[in-house]
Amino acid sequence: MAVREAEPVGSLSEVREAGLDREDLLGIYRNLLVTRAIEERGHILYKQGKIPGSFYTGRGNEASAVGVATAMGPNDVGTPLHRDMGVHVTRGVEPWRIFAQYMGREDGPTHGRDGNVHMADARLGMIAMVSHLPAMLPVAVGCALAFRIRQEKRVAVGWFGEGASARGDAHEAMNLAGVRQLPVVFICDNNQWAYSTPTHLGYAVEHLADRAAAYGFEGVVVDGTDVLAVYRETKNAIEKAREGGGPTLIESQTLRMEGHAVHDDAFYVPKELFEEWAKRDPIERYRTWLRENAELTDEEEDEIAGRVKKLLNDALARAEESPQPDPATLLEGVYATPEDLDTPHHK
Amino acid sequence: MATNTQIDVVMPQMGVSVSEGTITKWLKQEGEPIAADESLLEISTDKVDTEVPSPGEGVVAKILVQEGETVEVGTVLAVIAPEGADVEAPSQDGEMPPAPATQEAADEAMASASEGVGDVSQASEPSTPPPAPSPAAAGENGKTFLSPVVARIASEHGVDVSQIQGTGTGGRVTKKDILAFVESRTATPAAAPAETPQEPEPQAAAAPPPVAPPPPAPAPLPPQAAPLPQPQAVAGEPAPGEAVEPMNAMRKGIAEHMRRSLDTSAHVTSAIEVDMSRVVAIREKLKPEYESAYGVNPTYLAFVARATVETLRDYPWINGEIRGDKIVTRNFVNLGFAVELADGKGLIVPVVKNTEGLNLLGMARAVTEIAARAREKKLMPDDVQGGTFTITNPGGYGTFHGTPVISQPQAGILGTYAVVKRPWVVQDELGKDVIAVRPIMNLTLTYDHRLVDGALAGRFLRDLREKLQSWGESDY
Amino acid sequence: MAELTYLQAISDGLRSEMRRDDRVFVIGEDVGVYGGAFKVTLGFQEEFGSWRVIDSPLAETAIVGACTGAAMMGMRPVAEMQFADFVSCAWDHLVTVAAKQRFRAGTPVPIVVRLPSGGGFSGGPFHSQNPESSFAHIPGLKCVCPATPEDAKGLLISAIEDPNPVLFFEHKHLYRRIKGEVPEGRYTVPFGKARTHREGEDVSVITWGAMVYTADEAAKKLEAEGVSVEIVDLRTVMPWDREAVLASARKTSKVLVLHEDTRTGGFGAEIAATVAEEAFEDLDGPVKRIAAPDTPVPFSPVLEKAFIPQVDDVVAGLRELAAY
Repeated sequence: MAVREAEPVGSLSEVREAGLDREDLLGIYRNLLVTRAIEERGHILYKQGKIPGSFYTGRGNEASAVGVATAMGPNDVGTPLHRDMGVHVTRGVEPWRIFAQYMGREDGPTHGRDGNVHMADARLGMIAMVSHLPAMLPVAVGCALAFRIRQEKRVAVGWFGEGASARGDAHEAMNLAGVRQLPVVFICDNNQWAYSTPTHLGYAVEHLADRAAAYGFEGVVVDGTDVLAVYRETKNAIEKAREGGGPTLIESQTLRMEGHAVHDDAFYVPKELFEEWAKRDPIERYRTWLRENAELTDEEEDEIAGRVKKLLNDALARAEESPQPDPATLLEGVYATPEDLDTPHHK
Repeated sequence: MATNTQIDVVMPQMGVSVSEGTITKWLKQEGEPIAADESLLEISTDKVDTEVPSPGEGVVAKILVQEGETVEVGTVLAVIAPEGADVEAPSQDGEMPPAPATQEAADEAMASASEGVGDVSQASEPSTPPPAPSPAAAGENGKTFLSPVVARIASEHGVDVSQIQGTGTGGRVTKKDILAFVESRTATPAAAPAETPQEPEPQAAAAPPPVAPPPPAPAPLPPQAAPLPQPQAVAGEPAPGEAVEPMNAMRKGIAEHMRRSLDTSAHVTSAIEVDMSRVVAIREKLKPEYESAYGVNPTYLAFVARATVETLRDYPWINGEIRGDKIVTRNFVNLGFAVELADGKGLIVPVVKNTEGLNLLGMARAVTEIAARAREKKLMPDDVQGGTFTITNPGGYGTFHGTPVISQPQAGILGTYAVVKRPWVVQDELGKDVIAVRPIMNLTLTYDHRLVDGALAGRFLRDLREKLQSWGESDY
Repeated sequence: MAELTYLQAISDGLRSEMRRDDRVFVIGEDVGVYGGAFKVTLGFQEEFGSWRVIDSPLAETAIVGACTGAAMMGMRPVAEMQFADFVSCAWDHLVTVAAKQRFRAGTPVPIVVRLPSGGGFSGGPFHSQNPESSFAHIPGLKCVCPATPEDAKGLLISAIEDPNPVLFFEHKHLYRRIKGEVPEGRYTVPFGKARTHREGEDVSVITWGAMVYTADEAAKKLEAEGVSVEIVDLRTVMPWDREAVLASARKTSKVLVLHEDTRTGGFGAEIAATVAEEAFEDLDGPVKRIAAPDTPVPFSPVLEKAFIPQVDDVVAGLRELAAY
C-alpha cells in the first residue's frame, strides 16, 4: 500500500458528497474562529500573569483539529493533544471552562489538578492527554479494543505528533491495532518541529504515513491547512474503521506557527518557513474558500465574528469568577470509588 | 564422557513453578549400558512431557524410582556407574549432579524448613539484622538504657527503674520486667521490721541451708515500692552534729506502704500467750530426723505457720480482703513471711502459695527455701505477690510483744515473739495448782477492725493456741 | 469448600468472574492458545473465545495501555504480564496515565494487572523480582500480594471489582506448592485488611507473600525456644493495614518486617518508619527489617539462597530481637 497524498477539496458539491451542508460549513468556520480566539486570548492572559505554568497552543493546526473532530461521530472517542484545541471546541466544550482550566480554577475540567489543555470531557467522548507522548495512543487503541469486543460501531481517534512518533508507544499501539484490525484512526499532526527538533532528526522516512504499511494498514498524507480535505480523509478513514476495515494513519501536514510554548520564540525555525506558511493560514484559507465556493457574505462573516467575540468575552468573565481550588481538597480523589463507575460508559 | 564415579540421575524442573514429575517410561533397564546424552527415561510434568537424557556414560547401575511414581524435583531417580563398579546408595539431599540439557534448579522450597546447602545463608549479611548495640546493664555505673515503652510505663506508674534487675541484653530492663514489677507492687512488703525466723536461746539463729537450687541466671531484685511522690520536709542544711543520707528505693517503698496501710485499715491488736511445751518436745524429736532425712530444720515458725493455716480455715474473714464494698474470702492461704534484709535496715515479705496443702515438713521446707532466696536476692516477682495473710516474727531479738502493720490489702498479720521460759501455773495430777517452768510464746493478731471484730480475733487466737498446745505426735 | 493450589484458586477466581461479567476480559502474551505461561488461563480461550482471551503482541505498554482505554470505555480488563519483571516496560503507562487519571481528570481506570512475581528457582535477575514497592509509592495505584489460595481468589475478585488500577502480585513459588481450602462461589477479600497468620506475644513479624511461610517456619523454631512469635500477613501492600500492624506492635513491643524484595526503599521501610513514628512509646526494641540484599536477583542456586531471606535468617533475626 503506497502512501496516498490527498487532493485538496474542490467545489461545494464535492463537499456535499462528503456529507456537509452549508450550515455545517459555517459551523466549521465558527469553530475555527473560536479555537483561534481562545488561544490568542490565552496568550494575552498568560502574559498578564493570569495563567500559571507554561502555555501551549496550536496556531496553524486549527484546521487539522477541527477537520478531524467534525468527521467524528457523536459516540466516537478521541485523545486530542495540545495542538488540538479545535477538537475540544468542535466536540462542544464551553470556552469558559477552557479559560477556567488555563487559569487553574475550580471550574476547569480538572479542577486545577492539571493544566493547559490536559483536560477532557468524558461525556463528550474525549480522554485527557498526559505529557509523556504518545502515551495516549495505546489508550485509544484500548478504546477501539473495547468497541471491537462488544461489536459496537464506534471508532477511536488517537493523535500524535511527528516528534512523538519516535517513541515505542506509537509502534506498540499501531502494531496492536493493525494485528487486530481495530476500529481506530491515527492522526499524526506533523507540524515539522518537535520543540527545536526538525523532522529530519526525528524520523528517516519521507512521510510518517509510510509507516502505516509496516503495521498492515493504509497511510494518507493530507494538507493540514485544508480543513475540508482533512475532514474528507478523516471521514473516510473513520467510516472504514467503523465498518470493520481496520485502522488508517493520516499524516496532517502543517507548520507550527509559534514556539513550542509561550516561553519559546522558535529562533531555530527559518524565517522563510514562517513566511511561506503564513500565506497558508488555515482560517484565512477556509474563509477564502467559503467566499468563493459557498457565497459567504460580509454580513454573515461579521455576524459570526461578533458572536464569537461575545462568546469569548462572556466566557472570560465567567471563568474569572471561578474560584481557586480549595487546598483542603487536595487529598481527595486519588483513588476512584465505586460511585465513580456509575457512568454510562461503565454500566 | 565416561564416568569414573557414579552419577545420579535426578528429576529435572521443567518450568519455574513445577515442583514434581512422574516417570512414565524407563528406556533402559538396570544393567544396560548407556551413553552420555542418550535418552534414559520419559517423564511427565504439569507443563510438559519430555525425555531425560543421561548425564553420563556407563551402566544403569540402579533404578530407584519406578514407572508411574511421582516424585519431587531433584529426587535421584537412578544411578549410573562405570562398568563393573560397586554402587553406593546415593544421597537424597537434593544435591545436583552435572547438568544435562534439562533445566535444573535446586528447589530449596521456602515453604519447607530444610536448609541443607552449606552455610551460604549466613553470607547474606545485609539481610540479617546487624547485632544490636548492648546497652549498659541496669545499675552499672548509674547509667541505664530505657526503651520507649519501658520509659513510658515507668513514668505512668512512678517507677524507679534503677531498682529493677533487667533480663534483657546487658541487663536491660525489658517491658516484661517492668510490667511484672508494677503488678507485684500491689503486694509490697508490709509489717514492722521482721527478721529471719529465729529460735529461742537453745537454738542457734543461723540461716537455714538453702534447699531449693537458685533460679537460672538473671536474678531480679525483689520488687520495691514506688518512691514517695514528694519529700515530706525540705532538706535544708544539716545542723552541726547531723549527718544526712538519702533514702534508698526500698526504704521509700516501705515508708510509703506503712503510711498507706495505717491510713487504710483500722489497726487493732490482740495478744495471747501460748504454752509451747508440746511443740518443743515434738520438735526435739523431729529435728534430727528432718535434718538427716530432708536437710530441713523444723523451726517454731513452721509449727506456728502450720497451725495458723489450719485455724484460718475456720476464720475466712481473717484470711480475707475488703474490695470496694465487698468482702473477698478464699479457699486457699498464700502465706507471707516477713524476712529481714540488710542488717535490719530492710524488709521483704515473700509469699508461699497454697500453704493449705502443706504439712509440717512441707511448710518447713517452703519457709526455709523462700527465706534463703530472699536473703540471696533471688526472689522472682511472683514470690512477693498474692499473699492472703502474713506472719512476722519480731521476737527474734527477745521482744515479747508488738503491733505489726498489716500488709495491704490483707486483713490481718500474726506476730510471733520470743519463746521464753517462764514460771507458769499448771495443774498437777490431783488438779491442784502448781508452778512449773514452761516455754511461753506470745502471739499477737493485728487485724483490720473494718472487717474483723475483737471477738472474732479473740476466738481465732484461742483456737490457734489450742492447736499449738495440743500438738499431737502424729500431727504433721 | 475445595482444596485448591494457589494457582488453581487464581484461575478459579478469574474464570468465575469472566463467566459472571461480560465486561471482564484477559489480555497478555501467550494467555490464549497456550493457556498462559503458568497455565493460569488454561482452557479459557476455549470457553470464552479469542476476543475475551486475547493473545497480544509482545508489547507491555500496548497491553496495559489498551487496558486503560478499554476500561475507560466500560470494560474490566485483566492484563497478564508474563513475569512481574516485565511490568517495567509498562511502568511509564501505569505511573503516567493509569495512576493519575482519576485524580486529575476524574476518570476511573478499573484495570487489573496480574504479575507472576518472586524467585527461588534460579529464574535470574529478570524473572524473579518483587517490584511492589515502586508501585506502592505512586498515588493512584493499588498493590495486592496474597499468600494463601483463599486470599488469592478473594483478592483477585476484589481487584476486578475495584475501580482503580490494581497490581496483583502472584508469587510464582506458591503457585503449585501451596494448597488450601478455598470457598466455592464468589467472595471478596477487602484491601487494606491484614490477616493474623499466627498469634504471638513476644515478637511481631510483619510480612506478605511467600515470606509468610518462611516466617511461619521460623516461628515454629522460636516457639520451641520459648519465644512466641506473631505473624501479620498484610495481604495488600497498598493500601496496607496500618492499624493491625500498630496494634501488633503495641502488643509485643518488638517488630520485625520481612519481605523478599530488596532492602533499601523496599516497602518494609515505609512500615518500619510508620511503626517507629506512631508506636514509639510502645517499642521495647528497635524495629528491624529482614529483606534481600541490594542486588539484582542472582541466578545460581547458591547465590540465590544467599539473596532470598531464608528460614535461618529469620530465626536469627527473631532470636536477637526477642533477647534484646
